[in-house]
Formats: sequence, structure tokens, C-alpha cells
Amino acid sequence: MISTTAKTTSALRARPFLGAASVVALFTALWMALVWSPPDAAMGNVVRILYVHVANAWLAYLAFIVVFVASVAYLWTKRPVFDAIAVSSAEIGVLFTGLTLVLGSIWAEPTWGVWWSWEPRVITTAVMFAMYVGYLLIRNLSDDLERRATRAAILGIVLVVDVPIVHLSVTWMNALHQLPSVLRPDLAPTLDPSMLAALIAMTIAFTFLYAYLMTARVDIERRRQARIMAARA
Amino acid sequence: MTLRHIRIIAAREALAERGQPDGLVSAVTFIATLILVESLAVGPLAASQPAVAAALFWIAMAFAAIIVTSRSFERELEDDALGAVLALPGGRDAIYGGKVVALAALLALVAAVGGGLSLVLLSLDVALPGHLLTVAAAGVLSLPPVMVLFVALALRLRSRGTLVPILVLPVLVPQLVAATNGTAAAMSGDTAGALGWAGLLVAFALVYSVLGLTIVPAALE
Repeated sequence: MISTTAKTTSALRARPFLGAASVVALFTALWMALVWSPPDAAMGNVVRILYVHVANAWLAYLAFIVVFVASVAYLWTKRPVFDAIAVSSAEIGVLFTGLTLVLGSIWAEPTWGVWWSWEPRVITTAVMFAMYVGYLLIRNLSDDLERRATRAAILGIVLVVDVPIVHLSVTWMNALHQLPSVLRPDLAPTLDPSMLAALIAMTIAFTFLYAYLMTARVDIERRRQARIMAARA
Repeated sequence: MTLRHIRIIAAREALAERGQPDGLVSAVTFIATLILVESLAVGPLAASQPAVAAALFWIAMAFAAIIVTSRSFERELEDDALGAVLALPGGRDAIYGGKVVALAALLALVAAVGGGLSLVLLSLDVALPGHLLTVAAAGVLSLPPVMVLFVALALRLRSRGTLVPILVLPVLVPQLVAATNGTAAAMSGDTAGALGWAGLLVAFALVYSVLGLTIVPAALE
């Protein structure tokens, strides 16, 4: 039998601060990306899309790794809070994976001359998107809290296999997509320092945004769990 | 769980399939129909290109594997025998292992029929028959560990018939790419390519088998 209660946690108390930090960090990162960093020698100002595109992709990776960790924790402890964390992170991950694909497409049109290219990074990202849509779908097809959480946790563990495949696909196969510029095996980023700084600032801002969205979404899910349990009692 | 337990479950699956071979018959009929329809749709000339023929075959195999695996579990649901299966010695991981072994054997039969049909209907030339068999065996081994895992997950869900392909096909993309490229390499005489892709398929089979044995006991209800 699953048991849950919605209560104020330190994460909830931190939410206003996370929101404020997200706004400040996003404005700073946008200024760095749009004004402070130079245009690219080959791409010109189109390169500025990449600051948001890469930060979105980072957030998608982070969200799905959190789904994996929360899923393991749920199967280990059977505590519903981990299921709430997993579903919240999966929803945010799906949203940001979708945005990564859209932004990548907007960037690809002026750079590659096509909105969509059948190349490994794009395809594996689209597949990852479809997988986690399936994850959300399987959750909605069961009314039993505990069974749903167990199924979702198993799926959350299995699906994480695609995250390294997405990241390493460009090194495994000949691809149009550029090779990793920051998360490289030799830990030596290949970007211009000012571009790297803008990218890091945007990534930090998106990470704050993720933390803010997570606290809000986990709170909603915990309340929903509590309502279902109260109705069942 | 021991190998003996896995063997018992696998033998039980084989006996059930022999007594009521609707899963195997459906899958064989399905793969033959799909290969015919796909080849007609793209045209026999295009379909006889090694890469196209290989892709058509492995896509058909993926769907046939969904049919065989779903049927294996549905038979137990229809007969209300799942509780008894879960009570068999060896635990739930033995059920997973046994089903994977039995389904690999069934899929080998399906692949033999589908592959033979492709070779004859499309007049395909195979430069490296031994390598083709190796890739086919590796491809067949790579499917059941994923299939059993996902069918078990969706077992008691409504709309599971729709849900299983939605969940499984994206996960199978690397295996389908590897099997297609490996098959095309064996057909066109690329020894290193065929063996490389076969190795990748075996690696996928091992990774998903370990994953399944570890977590599928929690999924079987």
C-alpha cells in the first residue's frame, strides 16, 4: 500500500528564490548571448540560437538522468516522492527535448539549408523524444498509483540508455551535426572563450529554471497523490 | 534463479506454442505478407538493393517479434494462468530468462521463413552467407530481451496492443540500424562491417538481458 502526504518541504520554501535566480540568470545569459558574445566567423548571428539550443539539450539530458535516478530510488524505497520527481522531470525533459528539436531545426535552415536532416544526432534526439512521450503515455493508462509508479520506474531506468547514444552519436557515425564542443572526452572545450562563457551562463540559467519548474511540478504531483489516496481511504 | 529454471520455463513456452501455435503461425504469416507488401510498395527493383532488402526484412522482424511476444503473454492471461506461471520455481527473473530463450528460438524460425522468402522473391545475391547467418543470429538474439521487458510492462494495461509498438520501436532503433547495416554488409561482401555490426547486436542483447533480469521481476504482476 502506498502512502503519501503533501507537506511543505525545504524545496518548496526555496521555490521563490529559485524563481528569482532563474529570472536574473536568464536575463544575464540572454545579454551575454545576444549582445556581449561576438558573431561566429562562419555562421554570423545565427550562432546565437545555439546558446539556447545547447542549453535546452543539456536540460533534456539532465531531466532524463534525474528520471533514471528517481526511478532507481523509487524501486529501492517505494517512496512516492521519487515517483513524483520522476514524472515531473520526465514532463520537463519532454518539453525541452521538443524545444531542442524545434530550435535545432530553426538553426539548421540557414546553416545547412534544410529544416530537417536525417543525421544521427537529430534522429536519436527525435527517438528520445518519442520514448519519453511513451513513458508519459504508459503512466496515463493505469489508475493504480503503485503499479503505475513501478511500471514507470522500470521504463525510466531502461530509457536512459538513449541519453549517451544521443550524445555520442555524432562521434560514432559520420554526421552533418558538429562534434561535441563542451562535453568532450578530452575535457577541452573547442569554443572561443567569450562564446563558452555565454554558453555556460545560459546553461546555468536553464539549470535554475529546471530546479524552479521541478519544485513547482513535484508539489502539484504530491498534492495529486495525496488527493487520490484521500479519495481511496 | 538457475539455468535449470530458465530451461523449464523455456520448455514450457515451447510446449505451449507446439500445442497452440497461433503466435508462430501469425508471425510467419505476418512477415511473409509484410515482405510482399513492402517490396511491392517500393518496387521490386528498389527492394532488391541490399540496404533496402535488409531494412524491409528487419522492420518486418520487429513487428513479428511484437506479435510472438504479445501472444506468449496473452495466452497466459486468457487461460488465467499468469498466477501459476509466477509461482513456478526460479522466481520472476527465471520467467524473463525462459521467455527470452523460447522467443529467440521462435524468432529464429520466423527469420528463417522471412529471410528465405526475401532471398527467393527478390532474387538477392549473398556474397558472404556465413556472415549473413551470423548477423541474422545476432539480430534475432537482440530482439527478445527488449520485447519481453516491454510486453511485461504493458501486460495489464488497456490499449496495450497500441502501446507496445509505441514503446518498443523507438528503443529498437539502434538494433534495427545495426541489423540492417550488418545484413547489407554481409550481402555486399563487407566482412569487417558484417562482423562489427553483429558484435554490436550481441552487445545490445547482453545489455538488455542484464537490465531485464535485474528489473523485470518488479514489472511482472
